[in-house]
Amino acid sequence: MASPKTLPKDAQVMVQILKDMGITDYEPRVINQMLEFTYRYVTTIIEDAKIYSTHAKKSTVDADDIRLAIQCRVDQSFTSPPPRDFLLEVARQKNMTPLPLIKPYTGPRLPPDRYCLTAPNYRLKSLQKKVSSSGGRITVPRLSVGPVSSRPSTPTLGTPSVQTVGTKVGTPVSLTGQRFTVQIPSSQAASVKTATPTTPTVQNVLINPSLIGSKNILITTNMVSQNSSSDSSSLKRKHEDEDDYDAS
Amino acid sequence: MTSLLRAPGKMAAVQDGSIELDTEKETKPEILSDGSANISGNAGSGVLSSSPPAGGAQKPEDQQTLIAVLQFLRRNKLTESVDILKREAGLSDDQENSKATDAGGKGDGDAGDTNALLSRVSITSAAAPQSAPLPLKSGDDQPDVRVILSAYSQQGEPPLYKVYYSDLKKFIESVLDCHRAELSQLFYPLFVHMYLELVYNNNESEAKAFFDKFSGDQECYYQDDLRVLCGLTKKEHMKGNETLLDFRTSRFVLRISRDSYQLLKRHLQERQNNQIWTIIQEHLYIDIFDGMPRSKSQIDSMSGSLAGEAKREVNKLKVYYGLLKEPEIEVPLDDEDEEAENEEGKPKKKKAKKDSLGSKSKKQDPNAPQQNRIPLPELKDSDKLDKIMYLKESTKRIRLSPENLPSICFYTFLNAYQGLTAVDFTDDSSLLAGGFSDSTVRVWSVTPKKLRRVKSAAELSLIDKESDDVLERIMDEKTASESKVLYGHGGPVYGVSFSPDRNYLLSSSEDGTIRLWSLQTFTCLVGYKGHNYPVWDTQFSPFGYYFVSGGHDRVARLWATDHYQPLRIFAGHLADVTCTRFHPNANYVATGSSDRTVRLWDVLNGNCVRIFTGHKGPIHCLAFSPNGKFLASGATDGRVLLWDIGHGLMIGELKGHTDTIYSLRFSRDGEILASGSMDNTVRLWDAMKAFDDIETDDFTAATGHIHLYDNSQELLLGSYNSKSTSVVHLHFTRRNLLLAAGMYNSQ
Repeated sequence: MASPKTLPKDAQVMVQILKDMGITDYEPRVINQMLEFTYRYVTTIIEDAKIYSTHAKKSTVDADDIRLAIQCRVDQSFTSPPPRDFLLEVARQKNMTPLPLIKPYTGPRLPPDRYCLTAPNYRLKSLQKKVSSSGGRITVPRLSVGPVSSRPSTPTLGTPSVQTVGTKVGTPVSLTGQRFTVQIPSSQAASVKTATPTTPTVQNVLINPSLIGSKNILITTNMVSQNSSSDSSSLKRKHEDEDDYDAS
Repeated sequence: MTSLLRAPGKMAAVQDGSIELDTEKETKPEILSDGSANISGNAGSGVLSSSPPAGGAQKPEDQQTLIAVLQFLRRNKLTESVDILKREAGLSDDQENSKATDAGGKGDGDAGDTNALLSRVSITSAAAPQSAPLPLKSGDDQPDVRVILSAYSQQGEPPLYKVYYSDLKKFIESVLDCHRAELSQLFYPLFVHMYLELVYNNNESEAKAFFDKFSGDQECYYQDDLRVLCGLTKKEHMKGNETLLDFRTSRFVLRISRDSYQLLKRHLQERQNNQIWTIIQEHLYIDIFDGMPRSKSQIDSMSGSLAGEAKREVNKLKVYYGLLKEPEIEVPLDDEDEEAENEEGKPKKKKAKKDSLGSKSKKQDPNAPQQNRIPLPELKDSDKLDKIMYLKESTKRIRLSPENLPSICFYTFLNAYQGLTAVDFTDDSSLLAGGFSDSTVRVWSVTPKKLRRVKSAAELSLIDKESDDVLERIMDEKTASESKVLYGHGGPVYGVSFSPDRNYLLSSSEDGTIRLWSLQTFTCLVGYKGHNYPVWDTQFSPFGYYFVSGGHDRVARLWATDHYQPLRIFAGHLADVTCTRFHPNANYVATGSSDRTVRLWDVLNGNCVRIFTGHKGPIHCLAFSPNGKFLASGATDGRVLLWDIGHGLMIGELKGHTDTIYSLRFSRDGEILASGSMDNTVRLWDAMKAFDDIETDDFTAATGHIHLYDNSQELLLGSYNSKSTSVVHLHFTRRNLLLAAGMYNSQ
């Protein structure tokens, strides 16, 4: 690292600021990070201030514009916790209600499902078994492509989960020379065929990709009609981590 | 009078201020304070000054204050408040004082803005929620409304501040030794308030000069605060800093003996410019006691917090620190118990042994809360089995003493890349959880038994539910592993806590959420949102179901696992809440904060029942003694302080660590206190002896002052170094083996 004498002036100022704040022990890269942040912050403020001053039809940017720019940015990015009297008032309201009685044990004590993260974050599309007159389409009623991750599915509490039937994988069906219809959820594939549910059974088997040739493979599936009440928003592929319901 | 001339300007300020007013109520007090402060402040000084002629000039100024307030309320369409205020102020101006106290007496009922402000004054005085007249200093009949309405009004000319301060300094240095220590307490709060006043009124150069001249005189333990102040040179800087704003509006509490106080008062009132006296009236609360003045060491041990010391009435509330009665459980005997020592001496063979912990005293311990004071979950069968295991383990517990020190088993986290931020053990020491700065939580099995997940629903439907080992069969053998990783948080995980029944794990993180994980499926069940700022600590209650969390927003919240919003909010700290702990009887919560105080809160109604000051740095760990009577706290200043909860006093100070103390734990029977610190040591202290000493001492409960002997060296039983691993967590197993956890620090 360059010695303090040969540091650029900005960096020297930053070193001094760190010293004034009582920080003596830091990695050398910290100064670079701080300078980058400073540069970014200052340019944002000055740009905002320029916008405000042109809006006010002033010829130059003056202190008021800068002040306004800072004020707006502070409310946006650097929020601070609520002031004390507000907190005291909120606390007073909340603490007035007595503690709720505890119901006898009826299962894990969790908030209503709406506030939990226990719902499935995917939905299997229900398909209609298509009877097609065009030849060459063979319906393999026991194959579907669900989320092909190796993660075990979350056992959901109280909501019907996908029933997996232990069908043997890798049925030695020779797929060459035939056309199979593969139905997969819309978010994954380009060509999608939506269908309505027909039979109440569901099968979920991982497709061995080696079986699938480079040909156009279409496999139709049968799926159970899920309780779609919770599924309306979960069509999009979401990661388990994100909160489905409450936007943060 | 200069105040009248300035008034129109400030009235204009009120008008400007209201235009940029937000709809939120919380900014109103500030605007209100900006506008009418100078008028009321000078009205205040008008009332206070001992010269009677000024009294005649009071009335127009008080009227102006009222008019200003009325105008403001009317402008914001708070017609109810306007009526109430007019009605009450309509009682003559002479009863202006009683109006304020009456309104304060109304307390919580009204929705009116002014009354809400005044009721807040009674809350901020941190006493029980009585609406009795606000505590008034002796000789002062000015209502406390000035606290809320006061901004920093200009007291005299800015350049003269230096003169005032040096005058006071000279005076204090000239008094008798016994009074000097007490009066020196004034320096710091006066310095800060005067400096902030100068900054607030845009006297930047004077503020800087003032700071340079007098900052060196302050006590060494205020250096961190002074550094923050040094960077604060403009009024705009003050706006974002919530801690300083709180400091400004709350009153710094000082405890001074009556003699010293009389001296001070006499000196200040006989002077022509009694600006300092005015400042004292406005911003300081002087808790006067009768008795001997305190010595410097006594004062030093109690001071250090951001709000001064605690008022004596605060620590006089009744606290139920006893333990709840253990439920009676039939302990089935098996053959191995015959070898174990039988303390009761009862015949073992024919009778099942009753739970010996609870049945000793049939009567209710007067210091223990009622069983149903707060609703607690009932015991499930699995809980009863756990309790039986607990009792069996406790019979095999090693008795610790200064001659019989515990062995320490250290779990070092390697390759954690400086990322370990939180650790917890289950009570039976079978599982270990670590929270990391890369937002993951990892759970390890400490015993050879591996961690397994529950099978998926399809597989569960296949198993035979009637079989005896159904609990084994529901576990999926294929997923057995030594550790599991839990992903989900969006920021470093700062607190982890196991539930007592080992079914759940809580983790709190910088992303502002607290997550509840299931330890049977190893997935996240709930995310509790409420703090919108980093949550520094969380803990399950000793009975499960409730948990407490504390964060950067300066409050601690009490939650229940089946409510998505908090049940209680504990507000009162001036800075972040860094540590939250439940009392063993689950009726109280202790919080340690960056404002260097420890507060004890009542779960039933959310009130603060104890304030403990004395630390000189942010508090990072708390530990209750197993009998519930004592609390130990550790902070960045390297000291462990011991507190008697029942009396509300400091009873011990353990010096020895050289760096921040991050973990404290009492042994299972409370004989040994273990502390772990960033200086890579674990120290063992003799808790029995430390607590025994108070029984014999004759302390004055009225003043709450106790002379502490520096017996840290006698109490230190052992100090154990690790090579370069700071100690993050300590845990005594049920048999009194000490487990420690920390991260290897290769630098």
